[in-house]
Amino acid sequence: MSKTRVVITGAGVISSLAHNRQGLLAALLNRACGVRAMPEWADTLPPDVVAAPVTLDQDVVKQIDRRFRRSMGPAALFATLAASQAVAESGLSEDILGSGRAGCAVSSTMGSPSSIMESCSLLLQGRQDYISAQQFFKSAAHTAAFNVANAMGLRGVLLSPCSACASSLQAIGVAYEQILLGRQDVMLAGGSDEATPAVALTFQQLFAQAENKNNRPPDQISRPFDVARTGLVCGEGAGIVVLESLEHAVGRGARILAEVTGYATTCSGEHISQSDQRAIGRCIAAALADTGLRPEDVDMISAHATGTRQGDAEEAAALRNLFGANTPVSSLKGHLGHTLAASGAIELVAVLEMLAQNIIVGTKNLTAAGPDCAGLDHVQANRPARINTFIKNSFAFGGVNAVVVGKSFPG
Amino acid sequence: MLPEDIIAAVNAVFVEQFEIDPADLQPEKEIFRDLGLDSLDIVDMMVGLQRTFGISLRQNEELRQIVTLGDLHAFFLKLVEENPDLAAKLQKK
Repeated sequence: MSKTRVVITGAGVISSLAHNRQGLLAALLNRACGVRAMPEWADTLPPDVVAAPVTLDQDVVKQIDRRFRRSMGPAALFATLAASQAVAESGLSEDILGSGRAGCAVSSTMGSPSSIMESCSLLLQGRQDYISAQQFFKSAAHTAAFNVANAMGLRGVLLSPCSACASSLQAIGVAYEQILLGRQDVMLAGGSDEATPAVALTFQQLFAQAENKNNRPPDQISRPFDVARTGLVCGEGAGIVVLESLEHAVGRGARILAEVTGYATTCSGEHISQSDQRAIGRCIAAALADTGLRPEDVDMISAHATGTRQGDAEEAAALRNLFGANTPVSSLKGHLGHTLAASGAIELVAVLEMLAQNIIVGTKNLTAAGPDCAGLDHVQANRPARINTFIKNSFAFGGVNAVVVGKSFPG
Repeated sequence: MLPEDIIAAVNAVFVEQFEIDPADLQPEKEIFRDLGLDSLDIVDMMVGLQRTFGISLRQNEELRQIVTLGDLHAFFLKLVEENPDLAAKLQKK
């Protein structure tokens, strides 16, 4: 029996730079940057800590019926807005969405950290009577998934794989598998996350947050693979794709943006925070094997590369071992910061638009690759290219890795 | 605090928290059936009223019997009338 083919028929995004896929690519190509100073965090963090927050138009937010919106913290709100775009583009009917053959896999790192902090603050003040009935639903680990499911009227599988910064790519992976298994025809898949002082503080404590001893402007602080990189910058947002069996998509005449042809996820089993080139390499190799491809078949690598010293070096080593200097490598963290659990999905959505426009976005702020990141075909300036096959990497605390392989359609 | 101020304070919770058009806030409207609140909203209605009136309402049995918005107005009008301290506190707000 031949393998079921899984295609993407819609893709939405909420980011610090734009609130739709085409706008995001235009901003990325324009070298725009969502990173800015965060005076609103001054009570918690040193004044030089920067982030890439999302600004939402409240009129757009209010277009979500209050019945659904009331249970959404920012993580669920971002995901729902991105899902709305993806569903609209895909042209899925209410009947299909509610058929039981359509589900979702949507993730965030820990639900909604800002909503959890609101609850904790009231509890610590002894004001538990003032906690809203919605607070659990805003905070829960699977808040993005069930809020998307409710707002979109889904009746099928609901999953929310939780693996920190690999979460949304794992969500796309498990959604792909649900369709491969024949359990669902359609899956909304991706993830969402929030940049909050509590999350930034975690990276600060671990010396993973970017430092700014040279007083660079905010838009130059996140520097993936660069010799002067000092750490990551927190970002936020959401990316959602509509995955669908090829048969189902063709049957209803949907426009196909790309095909997902492979997926793998692995753990290092060795260290909870340190990236590991061997584990990353095993994951990429497994994803390629899943799709029957060799490294030389890949036209573009959308790297995880967050700008940390150790993580970027390990990813670069894994890529060097597999691909040498033969495959273009691009990271979007210089533009968007590290959008945490959402990063895999947001960046995959951006790659879909790169495919459509035959161009690879150059890694912002990569002026000179660090010696430990050298030996790759780093894309520094935007580069016109015909992309048939790409891989998207995401790696996370806990030693978790996820890799999705995609192809243009028709390939 | 005048009775109409108390009614306005109760109604404000419905406008701000549940985005209900002030024109729909007629006393005869049933809170579940006509104003569209559900069980989760009722919890937040209580939280909102607690914030407004500065008192704990969660264990109040009388409040649980309320059906219409007018019942709710009457509950707070009586509460303020019977508690001069509460009336004085609201006056200062």
